[in-house]
Amino acid sequence: MRDVPISNCEREFLLAIIAEKKRVDGRQPTDLRQVKIQFGSNFGSCEVSFGKTRVLATVSSEVAAPKQRRPNEGILFVNVELSPMGHPSFEQGRQTEESVELNRLMERCLKESRCVDLESLCIVVGEKVWTVRVDVTVVNQDGNMLDCASIAAIAALAHFKRPDVTVKGQEITIHTSDERDPIPLSIHHMPLCVTFAFFHQGKFLLIDPQEREERVTEGKMVIGMNKHREICMLQVTGQMLLHQDKVKQCTKMAFVKVVEMTELIQEALANDKTARSKGEKCGFAMSSEKEINTTVSPAKLVEDVSKTDLPMSSDSDSGSEQEMVEAGPQERPVGDSPKVVGKGVAIIGSAAVKKWEEEEERVKGDKKGKKKKEASVKEASVKGQQSRPQASAYF
Amino acid sequence: MEVDIRLPAPRGRLAAKEDDEITLVTPGDVITSDTGFMRGHGTVMEDDSLKSTVAGVVERVNKLISVRPLKARYTGEIGDVIVGRVIEVGSRRWKVDVHAKLDAVLMLSSVNLPGGELRRRSEEDERMMRKYLQEGDVISAEVQNVMSDGTLSLHTRSLKYGKLGQGVLVPVPPSLVKRRKTHFHTLPCGVKIILGNNGYIWLTPTVTESNTGGYEVDLSPVSRGDREEMARLRNCVLALAEQKMLLYDTSIMYAYEESLKFESKVLLKSEVASEIAELAQQRLEHEGYK
Repeated sequence: MRDVPISNCEREFLLAIIAEKKRVDGRQPTDLRQVKIQFGSNFGSCEVSFGKTRVLATVSSEVAAPKQRRPNEGILFVNVELSPMGHPSFEQGRQTEESVELNRLMERCLKESRCVDLESLCIVVGEKVWTVRVDVTVVNQDGNMLDCASIAAIAALAHFKRPDVTVKGQEITIHTSDERDPIPLSIHHMPLCVTFAFFHQGKFLLIDPQEREERVTEGKMVIGMNKHREICMLQVTGQMLLHQDKVKQCTKMAFVKVVEMTELIQEALANDKTARSKGEKCGFAMSSEKEINTTVSPAKLVEDVSKTDLPMSSDSDSGSEQEMVEAGPQERPVGDSPKVVGKGVAIIGSAAVKKWEEEEERVKGDKKGKKKKEASVKEASVKGQQSRPQASAYF
Repeated sequence: MEVDIRLPAPRGRLAAKEDDEITLVTPGDVITSDTGFMRGHGTVMEDDSLKSTVAGVVERVNKLISVRPLKARYTGEIGDVIVGRVIEVGSRRWKVDVHAKLDAVLMLSSVNLPGGELRRRSEEDERMMRKYLQEGDVISAEVQNVMSDGTLSLHTRSLKYGKLGQGVLVPVPPSLVKRRKTHFHTLPCGVKIILGNNGYIWLTPTVTESNTGGYEVDLSPVSRGDREEMARLRNCVLALAEQKMLLYDTSIMYAYEESLKFESKVLLKSEVASEIAELAQQRLEHEGYK
């Protein structure tokens, strides 16, 4: 089902604020949204979210015959699927231009950069090799699927462990995880994609465009890079011309982002490893935040539970269950007084936290600082006997 | 100091009238196990019983049982007034988004071109198509024909229809727009409203009256008062739609009159919106509208 088209007003508004270096979600042009990397309880499953965009990558492996051209190399297979759950315009089992492009870019990013050591996946030359399959599913689309998918895919590959194999003559034994520890893939480097969206004839660019911004963009440039500053992929789409300097500038920006992201992946991997080694619970269910909208602050709730627990331990009668249920509501927190956040606004409990007032104050503070600066600029210009009308035209 | 305390979650819907004989079903509900009935839209025959495939109201015409979905894409009928947005300019036709499953088609031959109705359409006109209507323009039109695959073919061969200039587009579920003799209303508050059968509602100030049917739009600034009226009406329409009340001139006007005691921005609060819808509904019942 096709999407509702974007209205002219909205398009003009988006373009106008981009020209003022602002964005609808309050980010700076080169800011990323909040990135979250979560690993599943199985090895090789990873979910990455960029704001509301969510991508799930799962890695699986099986033994198969190698390609005739490369008898001593394993096979890496990448597949990107846009599930209808992700966006109303995605349809099941139909290859759209968008999905083909995404598939191709992911393939180029992961396969052609040779980031996975395929030779180590060989079991018997020319006969048996490991086929590693990366399935990337877009769970929710809110723009910049590619960057999200590339992180998910490489993180899942780094997280994945394949079963150990021993070869004795003609006999091949695949050990289960109980017999021998599974072996991680050897990853040489982590190529990550950074997408730049261009506006106003390439004059303004945004990193990590969200869905609305993607709809009004003139063109996009994707840079695939690793933290060693090696460009693995570069693609420009759309109707625009880019100057050479712009491309160089973008590669510099991409490098900063890639380093940031690689650190984040490594941190997430390390966290997962320590959690597993300590025997703590891990997986999506553990790491996902529960969104609870309550009028009672969580701290109070915890206190409540302890209070209601006490009578149970004191009188251990058999028929106390009904009493307990009744005792519950009596112990409701009474002292949760409304907190005044700003003028004309009251918030009770943890629901509906807003930050507008704080933001305004901060902006005001900035303006004061700027005014002081402006004043000093004016002074300087007077001293230097130069008339500089543009000094006051900054605001 | 003024303190505003809101509920953490919106209140439930207005209580439905009990006396109505409406049967609401959800997908999979058994409508009847009697085999004497015929299967209509939104139903399926499974295990010798008729089941619903959509969430909606059961309708019966003699032996035919169908389910009208509460919230669905628009399915057009000939003669419907629609408001849509041009999304593509093709050869001798425009593609129009009308919130249907497929895009509607507006042929070059079914529009009124400037210079009289009997003018011949030349190749020149084909080249000038983008000058009349381009991507992103909002138009009002009438359904001329429904093709075999469900695509709607539109026409604007009346002075009522054509390109829409400045205004507000409010999308609501198409089933909420009541079918009436006329869908163009000039409300006493100085706003013109087009209730598209496809669920797109267009609000525009009456000052730009002179250019209906044409392809020229008046882009002069709209006064603040007019804009406030439009904003108030928009919020009223949304308040009614939120409570699943039918939209037509009277219901909108009643909601508007009830809303006058509030500031228009206050209408965005769900409690106030539901209160207005409730008051409007009471008034409609009192006046004998159903």
